[in-house]
Amino acid sequence: MIDRRHLLIGAAAFTGVAIVAPRSAAASSAKVGAPAPPFTLASASGPGVTLGDLRGKLVVLEWTNHDCPYVRKHYDTQNMQALQKEATGQGIVWLTIISSAPGTQGHVTAAQANELSKTRNAVPTAVLFDPTGVVGKAYGATNTPHMYVITKDGLLVYAGAIDDKPTTRKNDVQGAQNYVRAALAAVASGQPVKEPVTRAYGCTIKYA
Amino acid sequence: MLGGMVRTLLAVLVLLASTWTPARAEAPKVETTLVGETVSVRPGEPFWIALHQRIAPGWHTYWRNPGDSGEAVTLTWSLPPGFVADDIAWPLPERLPVGPVMSFGFTGEVILPIRITPPAGLEPGGRVDLRAQASWLVCADICIPEEALVALSLPALAGAPGADPRWAGRIAATRAALPRPSPWPASFSATPDVVTLAMVAPGLARDRIVEAFFFPYAWGPIDHAGAQELEVSPAGLTLRMRRGPLPDAVTRPIEGVLVVTERLESGPSRQALVLRAMPTTSRAGVAWPAFASALGLALLGGLVLNLMPCVLPVLSVKVLALMAHADATPAVRRRHGAAYAAGVLLAFGVVGGALVGLRAGGEQIGWGFHLQSPTFVTLLAYVLFAMALGLSGVVVIGSGLTALGSGLAAQTGYRGSFLAGVLATVVATPCTAPFMATALGYAVTQPAPVALAVFGALGLGLALPYVLLTLVPGWMRFVPRPGRWMQRLEQLLAFPLYATVAWLVWVLSQQTGVVGLGACLGGLVLIALAAWLHEATRHATGIGRAVARTITALSVVAAIALPQLAPAAAPRPMAAESEGERFTPARLAALRAQGVPVFVNVTAAWCITCLVNERVVLRSPAVTEGFARKGVVHLTADWTNRDPEISRMLAAFDRSGVPLYLLYPRSERRAATLLPQLLTERIVLDSLDRL
Repeated sequence: MIDRRHLLIGAAAFTGVAIVAPRSAAASSAKVGAPAPPFTLASASGPGVTLGDLRGKLVVLEWTNHDCPYVRKHYDTQNMQALQKEATGQGIVWLTIISSAPGTQGHVTAAQANELSKTRNAVPTAVLFDPTGVVGKAYGATNTPHMYVITKDGLLVYAGAIDDKPTTRKNDVQGAQNYVRAALAAVASGQPVKEPVTRAYGCTIKYA
Repeated sequence: MLGGMVRTLLAVLVLLASTWTPARAEAPKVETTLVGETVSVRPGEPFWIALHQRIAPGWHTYWRNPGDSGEAVTLTWSLPPGFVADDIAWPLPERLPVGPVMSFGFTGEVILPIRITPPAGLEPGGRVDLRAQASWLVCADICIPEEALVALSLPALAGAPGADPRWAGRIAATRAALPRPSPWPASFSATPDVVTLAMVAPGLARDRIVEAFFFPYAWGPIDHAGAQELEVSPAGLTLRMRRGPLPDAVTRPIEGVLVVTERLESGPSRQALVLRAMPTTSRAGVAWPAFASALGLALLGGLVLNLMPCVLPVLSVKVLALMAHADATPAVRRRHGAAYAAGVLLAFGVVGGALVGLRAGGEQIGWGFHLQSPTFVTLLAYVLFAMALGLSGVVVIGSGLTALGSGLAAQTGYRGSFLAGVLATVVATPCTAPFMATALGYAVTQPAPVALAVFGALGLGLALPYVLLTLVPGWMRFVPRPGRWMQRLEQLLAFPLYATVAWLVWVLSQQTGVVGLGACLGGLVLIALAAWLHEATRHATGIGRAVARTITALSVVAAIALPQLAPAAAPRPMAAESEGERFTPARLAALRAQGVPVFVNVTAAWCITCLVNERVVLRSPAVTEGFARKGVVHLTADWTNRDPEISRMLAAFDRSGVPLYLLYPRSERRAATLLPQLLTERIVLDSLDRL
């Protein structure tokens, strides 16, 4: 069933331009409990990724900026990579998204992104580029890291921080309560997510 | 173009560098020192220091709520034994929008004051070393976590500390500009998209308010980056804000700082007020828990009102009348019950509506406010006196047992039951029963429909016992059969009414002084004369009857007119024959600053509960001794006549009426203990022990 919208999204993917289907005028950002805003973004490994194609799979979105001290806290301690490994090992799709505008901190080329994944042992399903910030803004992403969990049915069930220790101290990773792990476990066991919205902490996303 | 290339190049360099060196290799962006307002420390005397930050141009640090990203300064103290450091007293932040993201923070130079309390047993002569590990995040377009060890060393001296010439002025100025607790109560309502904050602040000049902005203390209820629309009305101001991402944040009170910029002759003036806005219901129905519990408490409070000394006689009279109608059909009984309930509910609607309306108009009033009017107190005394005379048998209106009591409550027929309901409400208004205060305190901060619903629940509670008796005729079986004893009981019930009259007259004497008192006592004599004449000439005819009726009418008119002719408002003495000195906010603040524990008794001469508590508990030897032993200063806030300062005090504790009992501990930092409205010696002594 290919309609105009799908064609449009396909075209967008081809040209590497993000398209976000317009939502109701009032909603400025994604709402937990509602369908996640659809998107198609170019990826570091080549083909674009369309959220709608991932129906039937749990999806994690991770907004990142590799130079942000809060992101570094979770990569330097291997905390983020461990979670990525755990998730992708269970068939969960992990999408790392970079919304830094060209010329700002965190903006990288595809080659640099792949190099970063390699040197940091990061194992996301894909690293996606959102240089216009359209997708980031549609999700109301403000921080790096900023985490989202989307169910197999395309519903947004978690938005917020990675854990409950809003610091740059690496020691705080130990003993922190990881909200993303908790959300994934809840969804896997058919339970509602206990804390579906938390305050994301980190660096401001460097939007265009 | 060139700039873009340079930025890209820089970004690449940063990327390369960051893979093996820490992000922070350059000079810190924030120069941080610990500075003192005073040059020495006096044992036991709290003093102020400050974390001073000089922030590089283009960079910023963060407020206690950093906004959508960022992190506030944290301090980990190493203090000498016995020293206590308070949290940072946060000055007002700036709004720092970055694209769609809003940060709250500081640029340039910032002084973050901190109060330190040294132990009383500090030995003068030594040095006091205050050390802290300070860590903060500093951001421009990129963010850098920084930290530093800061220290301040001051001598411990017995004498009064002198001011530090470099810092005292600046720290004191920062402290003077710190957000202050709002003197006006606030509430909010929420829809899925909008949170509307309302502050009841009568008398604000609409055209003078230039701007208002609310900085919430916590992330969640409000979209930090959204525009805030201000509206000023005679009742206060409202601020419409975009709702934040945390769904259940609007079920709890929202705390934060409201900044109001006012245009004065001397230029713009900024007021920073700390608010705790209570949730209200809205179309989205968010605050149902608070609303439901207020309704429940109001119902319970209404039930308990039936047992209060001002209501019990009226209710008893109605129950006696019901028993006299033992042969009436269930339908007739039920109609009496319904008429009574209608009277109660209507009266509560009127009282509640008046209260809400007057408050919306900016009056600082609360429950029982009409008793602050000497005219009303006088009229109420007359009505109750006439009723009491009826019960005593001086005057009989109607005939036989159906005419139990006199005046309104004895009117036969359904009109009588209706009027009895009205009367029960009117005499109930000076009483505050347990559970009522919380419900009423909630009601007065809510929109009119919610407030009226709470008043309705209160009325329902008051009406319920009688209505149930009429609905379940079986219950009447447990009441003894009518007989002579009813007449005796009736006569006996006159005495609580006489006592209530005596109390009202005494209240009046507090409000108007000797002249008003004399006028009212004269009026009571005239009422008695009218009652006797009415009864004595009941069966008279012709000219005698006409003369008697005229004199009766004239007596009533004169009784009502007499107090009006008396010169108004003689100086008002203290209401409660209180132990304590007079309450003023300044006195309370001064005592607290000195570290003196304080007991505040908010009372009124027309509040029976207050007087009972004062006589039975507060003036008992054990409690008096307990206050003395703990060095507690007793302040009395008299609300007999209206007093806006005391109204604000009540509002600060979510109350709209007296009594209110507060026990402030020695430490200024700790909050006051709120004692229950029905005091016992044990309750007071236990709370003194916990001081």
